[in-house]
Formats: sequence, structure tokens, C-alpha cells
Amino acid sequence: MRTTILLTALFIGACGVEPQPPLVATEVVVTRPMPGMAMSAAYLSLTNNTDQPIHISRVTSAQFESVQLHESSIEDGVARMRAIPVLQIPAGETATLERGGKHLMLMRPRGTFESVSLQFFDDDDLILNVDANVQAIAN
Amino acid sequence: MGPRNFIVAIVLATALSAGIFVATRLQAPATLNIGFVLPAPTPLPEFALLDQSGVAITRDAFRGHWNLVFFGFTHCPDICPATLQILAAARRELQAAGQDPLPRIALVSVDPERDSPELIGQYIDNFGDNNLGITGNLEELTKLASGLGIYFEKQAGEGGAYSVDHTAAVLLVNPDAEFHALFSGPHRVENYVHDLPLIMAGS
Repeated sequence: MRTTILLTALFIGACGVEPQPPLVATEVVVTRPMPGMAMSAAYLSLTNNTDQPIHISRVTSAQFESVQLHESSIEDGVARMRAIPVLQIPAGETATLERGGKHLMLMRPRGTFESVSLQFFDDDDLILNVDANVQAIAN
Repeated sequence: MGPRNFIVAIVLATALSAGIFVATRLQAPATLNIGFVLPAPTPLPEFALLDQSGVAITRDAFRGHWNLVFFGFTHCPDICPATLQILAAARRELQAAGQDPLPRIALVSVDPERDSPELIGQYIDNFGDNNLGITGNLEELTKLASGLGIYFEKQAGEGGAYSVDHTAAVLLVNPDAEFHALFSGPHRVENYVHDLPLIMAGS
């Protein structure tokens, strides 16, 4: 029995099956800052592949002086936007950052660029780097 | 009633029902998806503000056009551009369908502290041609907003940053500079494409 398990493990290893990254980003959209504007936004889904909650407390980007987690809402006909100190992603779940809801507010762009890198920190540990091309806001 | 009379009665009743049905269909007012037309259009309140060129304007700036008016601000990265994009896309679709007149998009700033005429002009240009950007002093903006039932309030954030809460509705102002209709949402392109021609045609 032990031999079988060992052989299976070796077989899986030989096939190059890698462990999943702890946090995976999909459906990434970063809007290009409009001419003259000091801010933009990023939307994406973040899937926690671990068995522990992940707490995104900080996001950085080389292309922006500041990145903040924000949440927009429309309640009683009034549009509001508030900062979120920490984005909690429970074990095995996906947090969706989308238009009109939670999003990354990208502030004060450093020059012009075609792609953006975003670093996500779980408490103080870098857990994910995302590279994405910017997309113009269609008029 | 004999069998013959009975058949005649049925035929008459059927014809009457069909006639009523057709008449009802012909006379039924078209139903709007999200738009609400005011029973009586209301003149815009008096105000003295600036357009995107820095030119002093009054409510007369709205005359001669149908105007889709949104109160927002340029430092709003999410809801404001999303709403303006929807209005711009709806206008493009209406233009492609041959709609005449086409409404103009007007953005009234709720953040005059940061929104200079130049900045609001750069911003509104991202959503098509011939748009109107309006900013100016807070007192005059408040006069315009409150006169139309629009709420806005500055909300302090961290490190001197701030956001502005504001009514998310879109107003339709007619060519006589009157508040004509209200779109409370959901703001979707198809809702505007459906409702605007009906409202502007007076249906």
C-alpha cells in the first residue's frame, strides 16, 4: 500500500502537476485613465485556492501613486463610494470586483502606459502579481 | 332566440370584441421602460454657472436641445463613467437608427472644488461630441441641484481625500429648458434607446 502511494506521488510529480497558486485573478479589466484625469479603476475576480481566508489589505502598482480598495453602491437612488480597509476572501471562495460594486481605485497615474502591474498583499505578504493591458473607456 | 339569431348574435359579439381589442391597441400609450414623464414640465431653476469653455451660462444654455443631464464628478472612477458610457452608447444607437433630434449629454459637477471648466471639458469629451460640461461655484450648483431634487454631499476620506455622494438618476431637459422626464434606473442602453424616442416624440 505504501509503495502504491509512493509510486502514485512519483507519477503525479513526473507528470508535472503543480500545486495551485493560493490566489488566482481572472476577468481582469483595467481602464485607461482618461486624458487629464487623475484616476482610473480595475475590476477582476480573485479566487482563494487555500483552506484559509485571505485578507487583501494593500494593493500597489508601479504605474499609480496610490491604489485603494473601494466599493460603489446605489442606495435609495444615491450613488456612494467608500474605501474598504480589507477585502476578505474566505477559503475556497471568489471575490468579484465589478462595475458598480467593489473595485480598485487607481489614483495619480505615473505617466502614460499600455499595461499595468498590480501587487496584492495578504496582510503583509505579497500573494499575487497581476499584469494587464489597459482598456480605453469606449465613448 | 332561434338558432339563426343565436349565430348572428355570436358573430356580432365576436366582431364587437375584436373591434374593442383593435381600438384599445391603437390607442394604448406606449409603455416606457424606465422613464417617468412629469405631468407638467418644470422650468429649470435660475442659475449662473460656467460651461467647459469657462463661459458664463444660465438655464438658457439648455434651450434648443433635448439634454440628458447627469450630476457627477470627474474624480468618480466607477459609477459616473459607467453611466455616461451608457448614455453615449444609447445616443450612438439612436443616431445609427436615424433618430432626430438626438439628445445632448450634459454633466453637472457636484465637485466644483476639483472640477475646473477645463477638467470637466476634458472628461465629458470622452463620451462623444457636442456634450455640455457645467461647473462653477458651490452655491449656484446647489441652487440648480436642489431645484431639481438632486442631492449631493461631500464625504471625507483618509488623508484629505474625499468622495461625493450624489443622486444617480438622469434627467431629461427639453428644448424649452424644462425638466421633462426622469430616468431612475436601471441605467441600461436598451432602456434609453426604447424610451427616448417615445418621450421626445411626445407619446
